[in-house]
Amino acid sequence: MTAIRLTINGTQIADDVPARLSLADYLREPRNLTGTHLGCEHGVCGACTILVDGEPVRSCLTLAVACDGCQVRTIEGFGSDPVMTALREAFHRRHGLQCGFCTPAMLITAHDLIRRGRAASETEIRLGLAGNICRCTGYTNIVAAIAEAAVAAAKGPPDAE
Amino acid sequence: MPNEAWGIGASLLRREDERHLHGRGEFVPDIKLPGTREVAFVRSPHAHARIRGINVPSDAARRVFTAADLPRIKPIRVETQAPGTKAPLWPPLATDKVRYVGDAIAACLAPTRAEAEDLAALVSVDYEVLDAVVAAPRDMRGSRHPVHDGWGDNLFSERVFESGDIDAAAGAADITIQREYRMNRQSGAPLEGRAVLAYRDWRLDEIVVYASTQTPHTLRVALGEFLGLDLRRLRVVAPDVGGGFGPKARLYPEEIVLAALALELDHPIRWVEDRTEHLLTAAHTRDHHYKITAYADREGRILGLDAEIIVDAGAYGLWPQGPYQEAAMAARNLPGPYAITNYRCRASTVATNKAPLGPYRGVGRPGACFAIERTIDEVARALGRDPVDVRELNMVRPEQMPFTTVGGMRFDNGDYPQSVRLCAQLLDLPELRTRQRQGESDGRLIGTGFASFAEQTAHGAAEFVARGAAIVPGFESCTARILPDGSLVLMVGIQSHGQGLETALAQIAHHELGIDPVRIAVRHGDTESTAFGFGTFASRSMVMSGGAVARASRLLRDKLCQIGAHLLQCEVTAVRCADGVVQGPQGSVTIAEIAKIAHLRMDGLPPGVDPLLDATATYEPGIGTGVFSYATHGAVVAVDAETGSVELLDYAVAEDCGTMVNPMIVEGQIRGGVVQGIGTALYEEIPYDDHGQPLAGTLADYLLPGAAELPAIKIGHLHTPAIATEYGMKGMGEGGAVAPPAAIANAVRDALAAIGAEVNETPITPRRVVAAIKKARERSPQVRP
Amino acid sequence: MKAPAFDYVRPQSLGEAMALLAKSSGEARLLAGGQSLLALMNLRIAAPALLIDIARLPELAAAVDGVDRVILGAGITHAMIEDTRVPDPSRGLMPRAAASLAYRAIRNRGTIGGSLALADPAAEWPAVFAALDGEITVASPRGRRSLNCAGFSTGIYETQLAEDEILENVRIPKLSPGARWGYVKLARKSGEFANALAVAVADPARRFCRIVLGAANGPPIVLAAASQVLAEGRSDPDRLRGAVAADLDRAADRHFDDFQRHLNIVAAARALQQVTA
Repeated sequence: MTAIRLTINGTQIADDVPARLSLADYLREPRNLTGTHLGCEHGVCGACTILVDGEPVRSCLTLAVACDGCQVRTIEGFGSDPVMTALREAFHRRHGLQCGFCTPAMLITAHDLIRRGRAASETEIRLGLAGNICRCTGYTNIVAAIAEAAVAAAKGPPDAE
Repeated sequence: MPNEAWGIGASLLRREDERHLHGRGEFVPDIKLPGTREVAFVRSPHAHARIRGINVPSDAARRVFTAADLPRIKPIRVETQAPGTKAPLWPPLATDKVRYVGDAIAACLAPTRAEAEDLAALVSVDYEVLDAVVAAPRDMRGSRHPVHDGWGDNLFSERVFESGDIDAAAGAADITIQREYRMNRQSGAPLEGRAVLAYRDWRLDEIVVYASTQTPHTLRVALGEFLGLDLRRLRVVAPDVGGGFGPKARLYPEEIVLAALALELDHPIRWVEDRTEHLLTAAHTRDHHYKITAYADREGRILGLDAEIIVDAGAYGLWPQGPYQEAAMAARNLPGPYAITNYRCRASTVATNKAPLGPYRGVGRPGACFAIERTIDEVARALGRDPVDVRELNMVRPEQMPFTTVGGMRFDNGDYPQSVRLCAQLLDLPELRTRQRQGESDGRLIGTGFASFAEQTAHGAAEFVARGAAIVPGFESCTARILPDGSLVLMVGIQSHGQGLETALAQIAHHELGIDPVRIAVRHGDTESTAFGFGTFASRSMVMSGGAVARASRLLRDKLCQIGAHLLQCEVTAVRCADGVVQGPQGSVTIAEIAKIAHLRMDGLPPGVDPLLDATATYEPGIGTGVFSYATHGAVVAVDAETGSVELLDYAVAEDCGTMVNPMIVEGQIRGGVVQGIGTALYEEIPYDDHGQPLAGTLADYLLPGAAELPAIKIGHLHTPAIATEYGMKGMGEGGAVAPPAAIANAVRDALAAIGAEVNETPITPRRVVAAIKKARERSPQVRP
Repeated sequence: MKAPAFDYVRPQSLGEAMALLAKSSGEARLLAGGQSLLALMNLRIAAPALLIDIARLPELAAAVDGVDRVILGAGITHAMIEDTRVPDPSRGLMPRAAASLAYRAIRNRGTIGGSLALADPAAEWPAVFAALDGEITVASPRGRRSLNCAGFSTGIYETQLAEDEILENVRIPKLSPGARWGYVKLARKSGEFANALAVAVADPARRFCRIVLGAANGPPIVLAAASQVLAEGRSDPDRLRGAVAADLDRAADRHFDDFQRHLNIVAAARALQQVTA
């Protein structure tokens, strides 16, 4: 076991973990943050995508021990973040989810696309989603929802004007 | 009146979304019970071998379980009434022989999955490797080492369907088209794999099995049978399920083993399938071979169809329906939505040393659709006619309905040719033809293809009895319970895993009772809380379960009116139940008030009326042979003749599924199905080598369709309500996946028309496109685009 | 599947990392981004006894913008190149290649050093850096040495790295303002490994022209005859195809089947087209 200290969704945590424990399994099992899902464990499906130090990473291809000192953010940690709120509303209104298994990571990837200004067109959004598989929706409504949320995020909340 | 924003026909936003958008869904791997041990399976690395011995580490007693350690388990037995079929027994943990790569041999337990895998690596098995049966057409009549000892051949079943006079059709034909088609083996690949968590509840004296399944009630039946347990000692729960698409509508060895372990052990055990296990061992699908001869007159009218279908079904048949339905369904659907009168088809189901074949969205239909729709296009091409016209010419016309096809399908109603016209409109076909003539600036070749089908949905007892099925999923159930405060719980036997049934079924209850959908809960997927039902598959849940909800709601409505009339002091005939109240000639009483009396103040009930507002109903549609959705799909592709890459530029669906309860959900199901069909058409394949080794064990080898490669999918609707169902609903969940392989192959054929190349095998990979072009050019070297 | 057990250590300096590697007698693997290695370990294809985590070593994070070349530390991620957060010597070629590589979440962790050291035949960087005539610095307790990117990989998952050596940085000559490049990756899906990969660079001012094939059933192949055609400034497609075919004939050890051979020729021709267009 190796001692680590890290921040998960704003809370500082000190823990002991076996070296081989992936960040995904660490979050899901001892931390009980089960919104991070495992769909392949070899980095392709994207269902385990979370933020480490603000950037999306595959938590299945990241070791928990290697995250000592890092800031980790999962789907449970977005609080009232305005972009995430807009995305959730748009996914709901546009029927951008069915079984829900890919949804948390899809939202986190979409959040990153909007943050980096990479959600300006349908083509750009589709390319940005290349690493997140959805087996249910056929993507049409996911793409529409992200485009809608990107517009909403660009406008900012009504009271900010 | 029901609220128009909430009732039938409203695109009510889904109740399911909130939890998933916050990562609060509860899938089997999310459920934690103290003391749980994780399970990893020892699996066969060989396609076909005798087991000489299994060596378990000496210190691993009660941590490694083989078949010998779990004598309670009976082999899986599929019953069938269909004549001439073979049904081998399947030991959930292999005993004497392994029959495909991934066949389970032992279950290994440890506190973590990683440690369970460490333990599994220490179990060694002594194998005598046998020749693997991998080529179904070659080996079906026999092989050196047949898959099942004592069979002589490798045939699960063989049937000949014959109707009309095929020889007369051949004699009368102006043209004869012959083709071979192949739809290769693939996986269902829901994003969440299978998963099982089992434990013993000592207080209730039962085994609780959480499973990622589409069919909790029939899974309980199976566990009872193969473990020799009273069903009252088994509870099966399917919590959130991360996609099913068919493969999770079958019983698996792992489910039996986990339940058996729960009987043996004092702690819960959990098995979470990893992606490699899924690709190797969860039900495979498709794997059809076709040889088709079509006879047509010079107008393009198909006079007769002579076909041979071989389905490579893998080593075993999955419970409950066995391996037989794939070939039979393909044979019956091969004549498509067409008024063909002469038909002969030999359909063979072959045992091979591959993973068992099971249902996947569309089941036998995508293969059949691929074969007939490619053939229709070839008839048109041979005559220099537009495939759209030849489709229309042969289609069953509205005035012929109801119409029984030469394949034995009884179409109920609809305007099939109109779906062809609407689809061509959605793609703007004349514009495309112009663009095609002009050529693309990047040198790619544009093509357009169509494919039509009619999909049997919500079939009842008559259909399954005709199939010889041992289990006849001809009905669904609903218990509707109004609670003391007037809120409503619908307890249904289906399982919703993305279909939005928690929302759509509430819409139906709202339609009948006027209760606000936010005050309606839909409970499903738990044998403890719901009456028996078959689950979600075969495009049946909305029609069947929706019908049961309608009936149970009406039973409650009658009782509400009875109590309401008493409270309003009028005749029951003078009241009606709407908008959450029972309305009389003078005044009204709310459902909440009635509910309070029915539970807490029975002194207010009319004489002779029992307390409680609780009704259970079952429902089977008025026609047992199913109601038919139909559609025409159109694809526009750009083919790079140098690289063989196929890009989808546009895709349209013109469909009719009768009354839509929630159009938003309907369209979501169509688009999802289409993209799975695109996966079949362009990406997904599990090839096996000559030794029976599967060559796609990860998602790096097994490609799933991604957002970047797809266009937005257009949808147009036609509306022909079914006569035999509640509200005119027809099932529609699978249809989206049926036509894309055919439509895309026809589009590729159209694009490559000048070269004379055609790709008659899925997936249409760059390698296959380049090979087809090369072959065409070698045949007629003078033609170059 | 889960990775087999291993020990983990995160040294604070390159020197410490080298010392750890040197005494591990071949049982250790270096962990940089881990985007390939951890996947292989999760599949239990790789099972090192020790992982030496070099992802955060400051010595590997440096990017130096020199007069005629850029030095990129081995720990620089694909995403940093994609976003041009580090100097780009390639006038857009490297950011283009980075963006075509897997998916953003992978690019955020995966490193150029990891990609070169793993030497997956389907990977992008070995071909790109070979086409740019980059050099690799490797370090060990025995000292440093410099190796050409072309030729660094010696086989499938094999390189010239000795057991005790760490890939420290890549030094890439700057393309002249008039230089042109072509990059063609033929893959079935966005982000998937290439079925064919061709990188062409023409920098007449530096008298440098090179076409390299990646995804070549082994290390990248520098197409000598095709590079010569490129140097002559000709864009005759038939002549180029002929030259590529001749180059492929010399690479018989790669056992390309008909389709791969065809696709390689198409990719090379298109990369050249991009250069001359």
